Amino acid sequence: MAILEWGNVVTIFAWFIAVYMVIVISFYSVILMISFFQLRKEYQLDRVQAYEDYADEFYTKPVSIIVPAYNEEAGIIQSVRSLLSVDYPTYEVIVVNDGSTDQTLAKVIEHYDMKEIKKVVRRQVDTKPIGRIYQSAILSNLFLIDKENGGKADALNVGLNFSHYPYFCSLDGDSVLEQDAFLKVMKPIIDSNEEVIASGGSVRIANGCQIKNGHIQKIGLSNKPLVVMQIIEYLRAFLMGRIGLSRHNLLLIISGAFGVFSKQWVIAAGGYKTDTVGEDMELVVRIHRLLREKKIKKKIVYVPDPVCWTEVPEDVTFLRRQRRRWHRGLLESLWTHRKITFNPKYGSIGLISFPYFWIVEFFGPVIECLGYLFMILCLLLGGIYIEFAILLFLLSCIYGSIFSMTSVLLEEWSLTRYPKVSDIMKLFLYSLTETIWYRPLTVFWRCEGIWQMIIGDRSWGEMKRKGVSE
Amino acid sequence: MLKNELFFLTMLTIIILGLLLVLLIYLTIRKALEIKKRKAIEQYIENNHTKLFTMLMEGGYSRGLSPKSVLEQKAIEELLSRYSKILEGEEERSRLTELASMYLLERYRKQLNSKRWSKRMNTLYYIEDFKLTRLNDEIYMLTKKKKISHAELIHSLRILALFQHEFLFDLLITRYQNFSEFEYRTVLVHLEQKHFEKFILHFHKSSQPLQKAILEVISIKKEVNYLPFLENIFSVYKGEIRLRALKALSNVGNVKNTDPYLELLYSSKWEERMIAAKLIGSLKEVRGISRLIELLHDQMWWVRSQAGEAICQFPNGHQILQEVLETSKDVFAKDMAWEWLHKGV
Repeated sequence: MAILEWGNVVTIFAWFIAVYMVIVISFYSVILMISFFQLRKEYQLDRVQAYEDYADEFYTKPVSIIVPAYNEEAGIIQSVRSLLSVDYPTYEVIVVNDGSTDQTLAKVIEHYDMKEIKKVVRRQVDTKPIGRIYQSAILSNLFLIDKENGGKADALNVGLNFSHYPYFCSLDGDSVLEQDAFLKVMKPIIDSNEEVIASGGSVRIANGCQIKNGHIQKIGLSNKPLVVMQIIEYLRAFLMGRIGLSRHNLLLIISGAFGVFSKQWVIAAGGYKTDTVGEDMELVVRIHRLLREKKIKKKIVYVPDPVCWTEVPEDVTFLRRQRRRWHRGLLESLWTHRKITFNPKYGSIGLISFPYFWIVEFFGPVIECLGYLFMILCLLLGGIYIEFAILLFLLSCIYGSIFSMTSVLLEEWSLTRYPKVSDIMKLFLYSLTETIWYRPLTVFWRCEGIWQMIIGDRSWGEMKRKGVSE
Repeated sequence: MLKNELFFLTMLTIIILGLLLVLLIYLTIRKALEIKKRKAIEQYIENNHTKLFTMLMEGGYSRGLSPKSVLEQKAIEELLSRYSKILEGEEERSRLTELASMYLLERYRKQLNSKRWSKRMNTLYYIEDFKLTRLNDEIYMLTKKKKISHAELIHSLRILALFQHEFLFDLLITRYQNFSEFEYRTVLVHLEQKHFEKFILHFHKSSQPLQKAILEVISIKKEVNYLPFLENIFSVYKGEIRLRALKALSNVGNVKNTDPYLELLYSSKWEERMIAAKLIGSLKEVRGISRLIELLHDQMWWVRSQAGEAICQFPNGHQILQEVLETSKDVFAKDMAWEWLHKGV
């Protein structure tokens, strides 16, 4: 009797996991189809031509670029230099020194001949006190603000208060922008007559590419398996997930690495929240919430074109920290706005996006992790349980490897950014192995993130950058 | 007990894997071919660019250059496109149009009816770049098509504007009345005076987005000819349109009689006070200075800031601001005076 009950429990559990995975796989398949058609439409569209008009001042809106810098003396000059050469008619660069303890401030002052200016900063969002404000004597559109340390979100808020233009973009310290990044992300905003109030682009991985003076010289593939896997992961997330979600205004994430927002709406929503690790996602959620509550028809979109190249961790320790942090940021955003979940008042955001983020993004790793443990258990138990193990393994193959392989092919089919035939082969073969090692690892790390939350570990987990630029 | 499910799943996985593998093979072959094609195009460009350049600069035709294959045409297209962005002279530009018509016209005529959206779009871009007015009628036909994507439609209309097509006015007035301001603007900005005037005459009967677009185009082009028109709009209209007319006036920087605008500095609407301040600044109207100084105390930040900027434009602007800074008791006014005095470059 006892054995039968035990068997029942195991069976029910196995079915639970299996059904969960089938649901998630179906969901992804739908999203994949949406992305597929969108990408196909733009295949071989001459992008230089398509964006050319937007390089004219007459058509565009000026943008403020905010660069929060905390102890970035190694890369700050490079980043600023790359920003100052972007292809856009009117913009300003605002470097916010977030109380760095190194030479960040001095370096910028010296390199760009910064002179102190007096300026009244409108306090539209509350921030830590700011100190001096500088403007470059050589380039009138470069500003530097010195402030007390208060974290990235706080630095962004200071930049927000200071900025002169109606749109702003936040940028991570060590990302490299494509020359026409702003043209690409501003296009939907302008085309929609400002119905689109925030827009983000694909982030790609810079490790392995040749970068000089803040420009991508040659796109390449890193030799480190961990980096290759992350490339695949990004491709998958951006090409498959976000295009599909964006199509129906369900997007809850605009990557922190690169996105343009309408300042007016960000301020209306209250600026960046300072006490979360995922301030970018939290902001997007808050804007969605504001829009739904006020019943305003505005949109947040995503452009599939790669716009920004960023450095990712190359070794396990930092990758692990990053994933733990991301997962915690995700939970914080979802938890702060938990009211939205299944709330019909918030329309598709409440009924589709939020449940999706809870069930697939947040609880997904826990269930997958249980699935892996269960698989091992089944193998040990033997007998009919072996079949369960095979079933789950096949499902996770589809879930992990096959979707990733499809994304790689989707990229080659539509955007074709990697120059060599061997690159595609390599990406394809690596993605085949995803289920066996990379997926379980990330799943485990994300579960760790949840565990850390439960036991109340609040450590930050900063990433160490070695600098991608030559 | 799981036999069926397992069988189904295994089959599914294998089938998908198989499909993906086939796709991979297809894509790798495609990529290899693309790379080869690219090389051929580069080679053709390398071999022929001097020939083409001479033809552009000196006129005449070279028999040696007769692109037959699609690849060769593509190479010519790329070369011409590059030149179209750097050539300045009227003569050279018309030669470029000539050459493009000679080599590429038929190709574009076909491509305009291509099944693929991106191909049709690319064709439109090139037609615009090369100013292929000979395709005038084809483009006009496009705009009358029922099934056309919005992006194509806007771009076609733009091209018609660029070619100064006579029916464009009718199209915009009768057929396409629901565009956004931005869309109208991208079309109207290409019109020459003769055609633009039709829109001015029709202004009162136009939709609001079209009206805004017309005012914006005048404002950007700083057309002094239309000053009476702008002043008229300003006095006749209310709300948003009136503001836009005022903004255009402040950009053009000239009016017949400043009095109504001096009065406007006392408007109850802050937007009007702001733009009026801007206008008085660009007119450098001395009679407005005392009110501008008062506006430094305005309750709206935008008005204060604009007043500061306007004062700066007067020859003795800095002196005035300095006085405000030293004598005023209002913190906000002091702040603003201080900012404009110390504003960087």
